[in-house]
Amino acid sequence: MKPHLRLGCLLAAIGMAPAAHAIGALAGAQIQNTAQVNYTVGGTSATANSNTVSLTVNEILDVIATLQSGDVPVVPGATNQVVVVRVTNTGNGSETFRLVLNSVLPGDDFDPTPSSPAIYFDNDVNGVVSPGDTPYAAGTNDPTLAPDAFVRLLVLNNIGTPLANGARGFTRLTAQSLTGTGSPGTVFAGQGTGSTDAVVGTTGAQSFAVGTYLVSDISVTANKTAVVTDTFGGSRPLPGATIAYQVIVTATGSGTATASVFSDAIPANTTYVPASLRLNGTAMTDATDADAGQFLTTPARVTVNLGNLTQAAGPQAIRFSVLIN
Amino acid sequence: MKKGYALTTGLILLALGSATALAEGPLLAANSAVAATRPAPKAGCIELKSVAETEQAYRDDNGQQAVRRIPAAKVVPGTQVIWTLSATNVCAAAADKVFIDNPVPDHMTLVVDSVRGAGADTSYSLDGKQFAAPEQLRVTEADGTTRPARADEYTHVRWAFRNSIGPGQLAAASFRATVR
Repeated sequence: MKPHLRLGCLLAAIGMAPAAHAIGALAGAQIQNTAQVNYTVGGTSATANSNTVSLTVNEILDVIATLQSGDVPVVPGATNQVVVVRVTNTGNGSETFRLVLNSVLPGDDFDPTPSSPAIYFDNDVNGVVSPGDTPYAAGTNDPTLAPDAFVRLLVLNNIGTPLANGARGFTRLTAQSLTGTGSPGTVFAGQGTGSTDAVVGTTGAQSFAVGTYLVSDISVTANKTAVVTDTFGGSRPLPGATIAYQVIVTATGSGTATASVFSDAIPANTTYVPASLRLNGTAMTDATDADAGQFLTTPARVTVNLGNLTQAAGPQAIRFSVLIN
Repeated sequence: MKKGYALTTGLILLALGSATALAEGPLLAANSAVAATRPAPKAGCIELKSVAETEQAYRDDNGQQAVRRIPAAKVVPGTQVIWTLSATNVCAAAADKVFIDNPVPDHMTLVVDSVRGAGADTSYSLDGKQFAAPEQLRVTEADGTTRPARADEYTHVRWAFRNSIGPGQLAAASFRATVR
């Protein structure tokens, strides 16, 4: 631990309200000023320079962590669920940052459990943990960032069980300047780039981003009914009778059942009635084509592509008929 | 993108009615003994001194918020530095037609309306060669149109003192600039 000098408000000069760095004066830069005076004495003009004042630009410690992902839908018991965070060095010197993860936070419904390892560098920038991504270990590979440079991080948590639909769990990644953090204006003498002083900027030299896991359980149920019409006007299941099936598919929960496909086998000893497939009352061709439904053989079955099903989409009614052989 | 600088009119200095204001900076005695305490004058009659300061908030003895100036040596982006220039006549004869030029330092931006200089007409430059009043400084955009130059585009400040500076007298000027 390097000794550091905390001068705090002593050096909190007025007007020293550094904004987020963006191509400003880099730490260690010299600012020099020499003025010139011209004058005439006794008809003779002359010129003189002033002393040269030299100022050193100190390192300003600033960092911004920003959440890169929206609410992450999860199901109870899911593992290694990813939140993406970007950490940007908004100071004016190269700086190393410590990353701290906390998933026990107030204001949410449940506490996610950090995976092990819980933080990865998203080296391939694809938002998921892949073989090229490096796990983060505090004190071992703390990221060093040039001014205005950033790093993308993957934060992984496991989701407990049981959890109710709509429950939210927070996870917080904090990036802290390794030189030090504190109230704006805090000075770490001699610890800045090029032996300048390091001065804590408006961010306090630390920043965090909070990600949200949203339990989005979804269940899809299908309720099938059959109406038999025999050739004699009755409802007996005799050869030659028609069975009209209706299946109501319902999604329940807060999430989305993506790319849902309904599939139903044609019962043994029956034959599918051509062109009898309907979705919510709309006829569909038997061929595999632009419409959602099709009749397939081997084994004989009807399928309907229902797409992304949500509770809000409401029940989906599928109808088709078979003939008893 | 490259910008061209142009003056709408020729070089007009000492424009009548140019804004002036009270000097800002260390206390100035109109006729002080400064010269006497200095070492023997060198070749020149005017000695020019440049000082950089920042403002610091503190609580005075009564616990009230107050502001004082401290010498600037180390700064950070966003720091506002007060530059004070003092020209002292160390000769026995008066100096006439005194003007001070100061480039806006590298890594710094001139603060709007911060230029002060008692008894001086101020003018500005976009190239350090031609000086003019702010309303006469225009910037040519890439598409050929021109617009008034902004204070943060000024590269130099000039103070032209209307009166001569007598022996032992001192003239002062100041401006503020922010570290980028």
